[in-house]
Amino acid sequence: MREIETGVLIIGGGVTGSGVLRDLALRGIRCLLIDRRDLNAGASGGNHGLLHSGGRYAASDIETAAECIREGNILRRIASGAIDPCDGLFVAIEGDDARFADAFPRHCAAAGIPCQALSSQQALEREPGLTDRIIAAYQVPDASIDPFRITLANVQHARLLGDNDFLPHTELVGFEKSADRITAAVCHDRKHGETLRIRADQFVNASGAWSKIVAARAGCQDVNLLYSKGTLIISNARLSHGVVNRLRPPDDGDILVPGGTVSLLGTTSQNLDSLEHINPSVDEVERILQQGMQLIPELAHTRFIRAFSGVRPLLMSSGAGMDGRKASRGFALLDHEQAGVSNLASIFGGKLTTFRLMAEKTGDLVARRLAITTPCTTADVPLPEHASVRWTEPGFAARHWYQRHDESDAILCECEMVSKCVVDDIIDRSPGHETDMTLKAIGLRSRIGKGTCQGAFCGMRVTSYLYDRRFYQRHNGLQHLKNFLEERFKGIRPVLWGEQMSQIELAETMHCGLMALDLLPKPDTEETAPSADDP
Amino acid sequence: MNKATARDDATTVAAPLDFKARARELLPSGANYDACLACGLCTSGCPASGFDGMDPRRFIRMAMLDMNQELATTPWVWTCTMCQRCAHVCPMHIDVSVLVGLARSAWPDENKPKGIVRSCEAQMRFEGTSAMGLQTEDFVEAVQETVEEIHQQDPRFSDLEAPINKQGAYFFVNQNSREPATEPEELGPLLKILDYVGADWTYSTRGWAAENFCMFTGDDEKWRAMVEQRVDAVNQLGCKVWLNTECGHSFYTLWKGVERFKLQANFEAESLVTWYARWIRQGKLPVNADWNHGGLKFTVQDPCQLIRKSIGDEAADDLRFIVKRLVGEDNFIDMQPCRSANYCCGGGGGFLQAGMNPQRRAYGKRKFDQIESTRASYVVTPCHNCHSQIEDIGQFYAGDYRVVHLWTLICLSLGILGDNECRYLGPELASLISTGVSSDA
Repeated sequence: MREIETGVLIIGGGVTGSGVLRDLALRGIRCLLIDRRDLNAGASGGNHGLLHSGGRYAASDIETAAECIREGNILRRIASGAIDPCDGLFVAIEGDDARFADAFPRHCAAAGIPCQALSSQQALEREPGLTDRIIAAYQVPDASIDPFRITLANVQHARLLGDNDFLPHTELVGFEKSADRITAAVCHDRKHGETLRIRADQFVNASGAWSKIVAARAGCQDVNLLYSKGTLIISNARLSHGVVNRLRPPDDGDILVPGGTVSLLGTTSQNLDSLEHINPSVDEVERILQQGMQLIPELAHTRFIRAFSGVRPLLMSSGAGMDGRKASRGFALLDHEQAGVSNLASIFGGKLTTFRLMAEKTGDLVARRLAITTPCTTADVPLPEHASVRWTEPGFAARHWYQRHDESDAILCECEMVSKCVVDDIIDRSPGHETDMTLKAIGLRSRIGKGTCQGAFCGMRVTSYLYDRRFYQRHNGLQHLKNFLEERFKGIRPVLWGEQMSQIELAETMHCGLMALDLLPKPDTEETAPSADDP
Repeated sequence: MNKATARDDATTVAAPLDFKARARELLPSGANYDACLACGLCTSGCPASGFDGMDPRRFIRMAMLDMNQELATTPWVWTCTMCQRCAHVCPMHIDVSVLVGLARSAWPDENKPKGIVRSCEAQMRFEGTSAMGLQTEDFVEAVQETVEEIHQQDPRFSDLEAPINKQGAYFFVNQNSREPATEPEELGPLLKILDYVGADWTYSTRGWAAENFCMFTGDDEKWRAMVEQRVDAVNQLGCKVWLNTECGHSFYTLWKGVERFKLQANFEAESLVTWYARWIRQGKLPVNADWNHGGLKFTVQDPCQLIRKSIGDEAADDLRFIVKRLVGEDNFIDMQPCRSANYCCGGGGGFLQAGMNPQRRAYGKRKFDQIESTRASYVVTPCHNCHSQIEDIGQFYAGDYRVVHLWTLICLSLGILGDNECRYLGPELASLISTGVSSDA
């Protein structure tokens, strides 16, 4: 069994776990982050990328709303490169509850959110795609944020600060305990089929929707979560200048968020019992569009390229019952001392917008337990802007390529214009890089597979390039390609109409008709047989 | 749309071109950049692919990624001939050339290729609209001298006339400036053909020139000004048909310009190719291939501007009908691909005048290889830019072919080609004239 030792083991490579990693690293505490899959594999990667002004929660949850505006302002300062300060509108249309709309500025004021009333004319000038049936419109400081860049930068920063790192595809299997202390985490390396023992002083459970399961492995039954599945769809082109919110009690297609050169529309809310097989459905897409079109009629003729789903790990609160929309967006930090464990902390609930605060509170607890007095500095120290964590930004790789004018640097992904040197950089330097890195892992750290063709061309080209580099050998590359395409297809399936149907017919012709990828023999050893769901 | 910060910064200077937004306005719905499948059919069939790291697909993708600054400055737009082959093969029918024209317009005049800008300026200067700066009196003099020479040379054409400003003539015939300016002996064959078929036609002192380099500058206002002047000249003379000479872009510029700028044209725009074919079918031009007893092989260059961009395969059919009648069915070999799918030769879009010879010849290599694989001795093309480019690449790549106008072969076949009108014929054909072998008419 392989042994690793670290100061603090953080379980869960989402934005919160990576935030804790950076928080502790900045305090000089040695730490290690693990995830059973990869960075942002859960809710951190399955969301709008919306940096909430707090307006969304102003009416129902003033505490979360106030937290959002405060944390949003901090993130604009420390992570400006990952944020598009595009502002947002809250718009009520004919048929919506006028009293709910009228109360909006009052609720915003109470939460400290700047809110400016706009006339219909002003709202339409700002967002020409809006319906003209507007009855109220307000402008708030919403923004869009790239959650992948944030997480990658958190990890990269921690790595630069000391002996801190991230291990992908490392699943917590159990804890070894001595009295009230956890002494080691027993993990399963899902890629290599190995068992791994990680010894540490302190353990942090930041595994989002999986927090309850992880805490239970330490014998703690005190994490209570509501799982709420949310589905979103991505358009091929950006549809609005800024964020557009429907001003009413939340429903399925209420928020349109620009994400660089595309837009994201959602979100549905559906309670779940299990965290397995979370895929978007045609029904959900239908509901999102039906709702969204009321606010932005052109959505009826918009090309969508993919749908995706995430699971919100929501705090169970009294009063909300089982309604995910009414559940608190607040977060909880448990020290598990009442459950008889003295060196495990669980941080769960919360929002992408408040991840830094969640990490700070967790870091404070861990530091106190380690008797380290160095305060948190994440509100002041900017996140690093290294190129190796910027490849997820739409157009960044393209401009980089264009400016370099290097004829030998061939473009591999044509949709997003990602060249060979980006793939080289990712497999050599990106957080979580390793030998035989999967196509999916490379895609997560770049724009590969995220464009119009959804991996149809770039998948084959990147795979070929990695075979040329002898990075892939034997059947591994083909298997990675197949897994990558199957993963993409889960998201494409519910939006198959119009141009995207032509796109996928073409992909099918290439992948099945030409390459016979569908007939790829099933590999017989675990090492060469990562399933599509695996790292 | 870019990040809000960038947008705000940008509004303080001149608003940059938003290519994606303009594509949405200018291209039909369902065929705008948003419909791109990134399949690359455009790119694999584009001879300009690779210059400056660019190609048609990249042009679209860069627009989708808001790389407006890069698109507004890449010199690639001057190596794209706007031939529209990309649009022809695109499964979603996306036309890249429209936005290439827009990108050209974003260049300050002083940075645009000087040859194109100067040609346009020359056109704007005189009423004849000649891009070579040829004034109308010089054009008229060249025509009159040619007429006199024909009268002296060939008694069969002693009554031949070249009317100028003949009110109410059926055809308004235009003229590429190249002949009156640099090779007046090439004026003769067409005059003889028009006389032979008994056409009711006229030249004009206004708007007589065919070429329009203003269109290639990307400056829509100047393109419009040129077309307006010519349309007005035709309307004034009350002609029924504006008959375009053996030239590609000059047809497109007027035919498209009338539609684009919503001009009032009281006439039809038609091509000589259409009329040659009609006159042959009517028996007015009784051409045959008897002269080609040596079995010389001929191929045809379909001018993009005439075939793909304007009249379509109907004109490609006419062109083949004419050439097969002229050289013999068995002596005609098509290039592949051809007709509306033909590759541009690299002489279009102003490339010939842009001063980018290495790129233009690299572009033309694909055409050269296409021609070479037909093993034809002659390339027939009813287009002046194709003609010059194909000659140039033939010399540059040491090809073994010549390039001819249709009018030369028609007159050769009819036995009415003068021995001074053999400029583009090889010795084996020129000798037919001097020995009088072909004079059986």
